[in-house]
Order: sequence, then structure tokens, then C-alpha cells
Amino acid sequence: MNLFGMLEISGSGMTAERQRAQVVVGNMANAQTTHTPEGGPYKRQLAVFRSERQHTFPAMSLAVAGGFAADRSHATEGVRVSRVVPDQKPPTLRYDPGNPDADAKGYVAYPSIDPVEEMTDLLGAVRAYELNASAVQAAKGMIQQSMEILK
Amino acid sequence: MTNPVSGLAAHSATLPAGESQAAGPREWGFVETLRGAIDEAEQLQGTADAKVSGLLQGNGMDVHSAMIAVEKADLSFQLMMQVRNKIVSAYQEISRMQF
Amino acid sequence: MPMIDSPEIKALAKFLDVSTFRTGLITSNLANIDTPGYRARDINFVQELERADSGMELAAFSPAVQQVQGLASRPDGNNVNLEREGLLLAETQLRFQVGVQVLKAEFHRILSAIHEGSGS
Repeated sequence: MNLFGMLEISGSGMTAERQRAQVVVGNMANAQTTHTPEGGPYKRQLAVFRSERQHTFPAMSLAVAGGFAADRSHATEGVRVSRVVPDQKPPTLRYDPGNPDADAKGYVAYPSIDPVEEMTDLLGAVRAYELNASAVQAAKGMIQQSMEILK
Repeated sequence: MTNPVSGLAAHSATLPAGESQAAGPREWGFVETLRGAIDEAEQLQGTADAKVSGLLQGNGMDVHSAMIAVEKADLSFQLMMQVRNKIVSAYQEISRMQF
Repeated sequence: MPMIDSPEIKALAKFLDVSTFRTGLITSNLANIDTPGYRARDINFVQELERADSGMELAAFSPAVQQVQGLASRPDGNNVNLEREGLLLAETQLRFQVGVQVLKAEFHRILSAIHEGSGS
């Protein structure tokens, strides 16, 4: 894994955090959605993160004379959103008999979405995105420094 | 990528062998030094070529490692040229002494 | 001819190798800061530098990757610490820069020695 490979890893982190942010924003936008095409209220969505080796090298020609920070140990990995799953929390019921989506007892089912929780989540995604962006800058700086060797 | 030193390395094979000729011992020191310099330059150039093409092909070669290999190849080439130049000027000086 | 491959160059090349590898681990840690169950990884930098590297050019450079000790875990099992990784990244990058500069100086020294006493 060389510095260019690390750019891929940071890139995967940025993609995953961006997708996570999208999911959170979707939750925030649908916090009051009581009726979906599938029937029932909107279900809060969760992005599931999973480590993943980045497939950046067409062929690891191990015969080439050394100089690798060899990555056969699986120690360096990126990340991806493997799935977006609905939260299994039951919906929040509010008494509102006048509402068209009210059930027989006059309760309306709302998504169990806490705006504070979603905001915290969003801020976490933004911060992690920025961290990975810093890592890109660091790797870029080191690549440029490496080229200094020839000067 | 043809190795620029290979041509010279081929010539090093035509340099006189250490045991056969009747010249003074100092001359053979020069020749052996030049042969060694050519061989090392060729070897380092080969390594540099392999590492750089590996880097460009995206096989995970470290950038700094390829740069170091290139710099070493360049230095050994310069060393070889210096040795060659010294030998040439030494021969010129020696030939000036003869009548 | 040992001149081109001085011990200093070998040591500096090794330093840059280990620094690069460590940067890869830090980068992975940062990318996985929100991955459930992911544990922060690192190497013992000094130990890896000191490891015998006979014929390192041909053999694989395979450092011992360890789990970082003393980190607090979050409920999802992830223990990557933002501040630690950020600081380490900055430090590693700076040290890499120093290593390159020292390496350059060594190459320039060798170059001067090659051309010493000549008009070129």
C-alpha cells in the first residue's frame, strides 16, 4: 500500500460518511412523514459501515525488487456503507383523531426520529468527512515531499 | 525502456582481462574500477526502471522508494562517467610522457 | 561499490518505509472511525526501525501491526480516537519531511564527493 493507495482509503471514508449524511438528512426530512407508499409511517434509516480492502492494484507484482510497505497483512483497509437498514424501533403514537392517517383509536403513527439525535449523527458524519479530507492532504504532501528527493 | 548503461556494459566485456596484458599494475586498477562502476550503474538503472514502472502501473510501489532508486541510478551513472573521465585524462597524461 | 548505497541512505530509506506504513494505518483508522467493532491499529515505530533488515530490498517488509492500547471504546465497539489519529498523522507527515530533507543532503554529499577535484 503506497501513498496513492491511501488516497483511495481516505476517499472511501469520505464516500461512506457522505452517504451516511444523506441517510441522516433523509431521516430529518421525513421526521413527520406518517404515510408512505408501502403503508405506515416512514421508518428511520441507518447506514451500516463495514471495513473493506480497497482493490486498487491491478496486479501486485511481488517479483519486483522490494520497496513496498507490503500490505499482505490486511492492516490497511478502507470502509463502505454495506447496507442501509430500517431502524426496528416501533413508531411513536400521538393522539390526533382528526388526522387522515389516524387509526381506529385516533392515534397517528409517527416515525421514531429524534431531531437532536439525527443532528448529532450528521455532525459526526461531517467531522469524519473532514478528517478523511485532512488525511488526503497529508498523503498528498508526502507524495510531493517524496518527489523532492530528486531535486 | 532501454537501459542506457547496457551499451557501456557490453563494452566492459571487451576491456582487457586482469591477467593477460603487460602494462603496469596501476592501469588495471583503473580498468577494474571502471568495470565495477559500469556494472553497478547498470544494475541500479535496472532497479530504478523496475520500481518506476511498478509505481506508474499502480502496483503499490512506494513513491519515495522509486525516487531513491532513480537518484541512486543517477549518482552511479555520474560516478561511472567521472571514473571514465579520470581514466581518459590519465591515459592522455601518460601518452604525453612518451616520445 | 558501497559509496552509492551508504548506511545513512539505507537507514533513511527504512525510516521512510516505516513512516509510510504507519501513515497507512492512521489513514485506515480515520476511514474506519465509524465502523462498528473496528479497533485502532498501529505499529511500534522504534521497534520496526530497529528490526534487522538484512536484504530488505528483496524480502517483504512486514511490520507487526498491533492494536492500540489504552483507548476508550464507544458503544458500537469502535475505539478510534480522533485526536490521537489527527496528531499522529501531523507528526508522521512532518517527520517524513525531515527524513526526505536529510536524505537529500546525503545524496548531495555523495554527489559532491563524486565531482570533487574535477572541473565539472
